[in-house]
Amino acid sequence: MIKNIIISGSGGQGILSIGTILANIALFSDKFVSYCPCYGAQMRGGAVNCEVSFSDEELLCIQKEKAKFVIALNQASFDKFISKVEKNGTIIANSTLIKPQKPREDISYIFAPITQEAIKLGNIKTANSIALGILLNLLDEFSMENTKKAYEKVLKTKKDLIEKNIEALLLGFNFLKKEGN
Amino acid sequence: MLKGNIAIAKAALKCGCSCYFGYPITPQTEIGEYLSSEMQEKNLAFVCAESELAAINMALGAASSGAKVMVSSSSCAISLMQETLSYASSDEIPFVLINIMRAGPGQGYIFPSQADYNQSTIGGGNGDYRIITLSPSTVQECIDLTYRAFYLSQKYRNPAILLADGLLGQMAQGVILKENPYPEIDNSSWILNGAKNRPARKICSLEPNQEKLNSHIEKLFKKYKTIEEKEVLYEEYLCNDADIILTAFGTMGRYSKAICNYYRKNGVKMGLFRPITLYPFPNKRLNELSQKTKFFIDIEMNMGQMLKDVKLALAKDATCKFIKKPIGDWSGQEETIAEIDEILKEKYANNI
Repeated sequence: MIKNIIISGSGGQGILSIGTILANIALFSDKFVSYCPCYGAQMRGGAVNCEVSFSDEELLCIQKEKAKFVIALNQASFDKFISKVEKNGTIIANSTLIKPQKPREDISYIFAPITQEAIKLGNIKTANSIALGILLNLLDEFSMENTKKAYEKVLKTKKDLIEKNIEALLLGFNFLKKEGN
Repeated sequence: MLKGNIAIAKAALKCGCSCYFGYPITPQTEIGEYLSSEMQEKNLAFVCAESELAAINMALGAASSGAKVMVSSSSCAISLMQETLSYASSDEIPFVLINIMRAGPGQGYIFPSQADYNQSTIGGGNGDYRIITLSPSTVQECIDLTYRAFYLSQKYRNPAILLADGLLGQMAQGVILKENPYPEIDNSSWILNGAKNRPARKICSLEPNQEKLNSHIEKLFKKYKTIEEKEVLYEEYLCNDADIILTAFGTMGRYSKAICNYYRKNGVKMGLFRPITLYPFPNKRLNELSQKTKFFIDIEMNMGQMLKDVKLALAKDATCKFIKKPIGDWSGQEETIAEIDEILKEKYANNI
């Protein structure tokens, strides 16, 4: 069974970072993984998305038409990728920057004030990890040990950021419990 | 876990690549980015050239002195390098050229594409020459075929191209970075490394003597014949009992494997034939397969460039259909399956 995830937002929001971290978590969990980033010429402010697929079998077909989960960190990416969520799939939307509208009835919505929570945490740059935490809770198949390993690998040149990001990740992970979902 | 571009760069260093000349064009820029620091630390030659022409001609010069050389860029830059590929083929100067294809024609854009099949296998330079062309379909193959490209180019004293698309260059997968499995080739008999204690040598493609030029071309083509006999590589997947065989290269090869799996689950005996060397093209094996299986579907991320080689290889009574998409926002299996369903409906209706 292939699980396909799209992570989207704008340049500077750490989209590719959490994509790489998620891909490494899956790799540490002995999955076949592919990670495909997609970005324009702009470094900051341009549209960015990436697709992470993982499976217990060899991954042949990537860039699938639909994704089980979509993370959208800004309005433009919400509008663009909502059509890519597969039936009964879930979109995780950053309600600080996205209007809580539900244009489709056949999917689930999680609106979380991701940017706002990151600011409260003291570092707006950890918003991406909060979103990843929500996703990991929904996926419910990866251990915290592999998650930490992936953060340590990807952020090995920015070690001082690991602790804060893990804190943000846990905040995201526990967000659904707090909301009573 | 490595990106295709980084995997190629790492494999090149493991091959002993001592000179890299690049001209950065998306989607292959990470190759140069990675090598810029790695090669400096190892005291190897890294040059980000001022133009495409400069990069490839630096490669010609460095390789003639015996260095292991790699050049990388993307489609529109490779167009500008064609003249030097013709010179290098005539001069029998080995180097590896990486083309991470983007969409064209002209400037196009950074979308993945497989539209440089003709550019690589036929070429745009003048004269009779051939370029060895290898086509990976996974990040692991990016590594394995980079090793092989260095080996074949040195072995046959001919440029070799590794032809991958932007999707493969940009995507990351788990890989095993093995050691280079190929032996070193002795080049001491021809390199220009100073004429101390030996007679002077020269490498020059200019040959005003008609007979000599004629025999030079004959000699080159004798070499190409050996390459065609010995170096063909392909992958066959579930072809033995197949009623329908898909043909596809590179990224589309792996997509097509997934499509085979889908049809097999639905009771259709489908197989895949994936050429790994695009030159030399595996026409002999494809012809053998078409003696038994009579229905082929070619799938490419271009408007049908390998298609003509497939059709030429097939037995006369075999049918070949084509599914195309010029650029690579390939939206997955579903669209292709719908097209194949249409083709199969027609096939069964007409009892082909």
